[in-house]
Amino acid sequence: MPSGILIVTETLEGALRPASLELVTAAVGLAQPVTALVPGAGVASAAQDVATAGVARVLVADADRLNSFTTDAFATAVEAAIKAADPAVVLFAGTTSGRDLAPRIAARFNAPLAANAVGLRLDGAALIATRPVLGGRVQTDVRLEGQLVMASIGPGAFERASVGGAPATIEALDVDFSSIPERVRVTGVATVDAGGGATLANAEVIVAGGRGLKEPGNFALVEALASQLGGAVAASRAVVDAGWRPHQEQIGQTGKTVAPKLYIAIGISGAVQHNVGMQGSDHIVAINRDPDAPIFKLASFGIVGDLFEVVPELTKQLGG
Amino acid sequence: MAFSIVVLVKQTPDLNAIRVDKSTGKALLGDQLVMSSADAIAVEAALQLKEAHGGEVTVVTAGPASARDVVQRSLAMGADRGIHVQCDSIGELDTLAAARLLSDAVRGFSFDLLFAGQNSDDYESGQVGAQVAELLGLPQVSWVTGIEVAGDELRFERDTEDGKQGVVASTPLVVLTADGLNEPRYPSLKGIMAAKKKPIDAVVPINVPAAAGISWSEPLAPSKTSSGVIIQDKPAAEAVAELVDWLKTNKLV
Repeated sequence: MPSGILIVTETLEGALRPASLELVTAAVGLAQPVTALVPGAGVASAAQDVATAGVARVLVADADRLNSFTTDAFATAVEAAIKAADPAVVLFAGTTSGRDLAPRIAARFNAPLAANAVGLRLDGAALIATRPVLGGRVQTDVRLEGQLVMASIGPGAFERASVGGAPATIEALDVDFSSIPERVRVTGVATVDAGGGATLANAEVIVAGGRGLKEPGNFALVEALASQLGGAVAASRAVVDAGWRPHQEQIGQTGKTVAPKLYIAIGISGAVQHNVGMQGSDHIVAINRDPDAPIFKLASFGIVGDLFEVVPELTKQLGG
Repeated sequence: MAFSIVVLVKQTPDLNAIRVDKSTGKALLGDQLVMSSADAIAVEAALQLKEAHGGEVTVVTAGPASARDVVQRSLAMGADRGIHVQCDSIGELDTLAAARLLSDAVRGFSFDLLFAGQNSDDYESGQVGAQVAELLGLPQVSWVTGIEVAGDELRFERDTEDGKQGVVASTPLVVLTADGLNEPRYPSLKGIMAAKKKPIDAVVPINVPAAAGISWSEPLAPSKTSSGVIIQDKPAAEAVAELVDWLKTNKLV
């Protein structure tokens, strides 16, 4: 009889991704026992970290084929882990890799799947996954039932579990890749310098600018504040479409979804398609001239005022 | 190297026209139906490959009678032929059932590339394309923001949290297109006229797969929990001083 939860964690350069600790929280709050799969190459220390985060068991699939993400190799590892752990629920991170793998695995196991859950609960034998749809203004409860059900969790929807607790058992998971041809080969990753050196996905502080900045040169105000806070620079769709900023800085439905500790929206009105990409942030600060701007509904702290006065003043006061 | 390309497209409500009823919290969809934006990017990518290297582009959709419009639009953009898998109950299928329906529809074709949008504008699951790939036993490349033909292989740029991942793959292959790959063209008048003469095969599926083990509630607006501090009508220096205090209290600086 399948029981418990398998979480598919992710690493970056041998360290656990923050999204993996969010997965631990989502799983531990739902049912026990929780088994964590750690797939990758050279991931022993990531395995040790997740072992102390509250899970009951860690399966480490450490193999050269898992050195960088490819669907086929990682799906093979997840398949092996499901066979080893026989879980009732498999949870994936809502990262690009997690969202790539989850549907493939769900089809392989003929399991129902909900993407990007911001809430999870049990209702009898069913798993209810709450997820935003239709641009994020509304949510639906997806009811998943059966021997094996699956979900991916939304970035930032769950707190990160802390490491340093009593360690769980760590076991090596043997994965046979011999019959898995390398149909897609990775040639490299060009890291994106998103200002201050921090990439948006991992940044604890993000300073985002919108059309209220009036012209591309005024993004210097955003960059100065981001640099003062050691954060990354982001942009709304309007300014990316206008060619002021590169697409990789875009937040929202057609851009990145982020959930930093602090998100500062400058001159961004807060259109739905922007807000779905950042509403999971822990603290949201909005600076905008228009008191009716929708961004103020999300803001934990808002200043209605002229950003050309407020932002330089903020950078100055933080520097002093 | 000419490419035989299949593109999966979906008709969705126009997201710009969606309103939320304040008293009931329900989403009010407008009457306007459009091609999901990532699927339009997929059609554009297929057309660009065809224009540069030769080949044929077949567009496939599954849905009710209205869904024919997105096939027609793809043909007007430049696709060669269309297939409309008729399915009035498409809204009741989960992604796996929809993927079964679509993979059954294309299984008999010999194609080099199958394109689909990374996710749809309405339900944003991002699952159908990868599930079609699994059901057809094909490799997939997701979150694609760049495509280049390199000899017998294709080079892709993928958008990931860590930056742009470069991958190389051979056909046959499923490619899931993301925002930033291209700017889909608008159909020209000439294209619209030409599309009227292009074939659209109506396919009535023998079996419509049903959603198994999954159901969902009517979407509702979540209750608002915001209780933020809003500073108004204060000089910048004063408002900022309060913000800096708040940042310090919350240990954010």
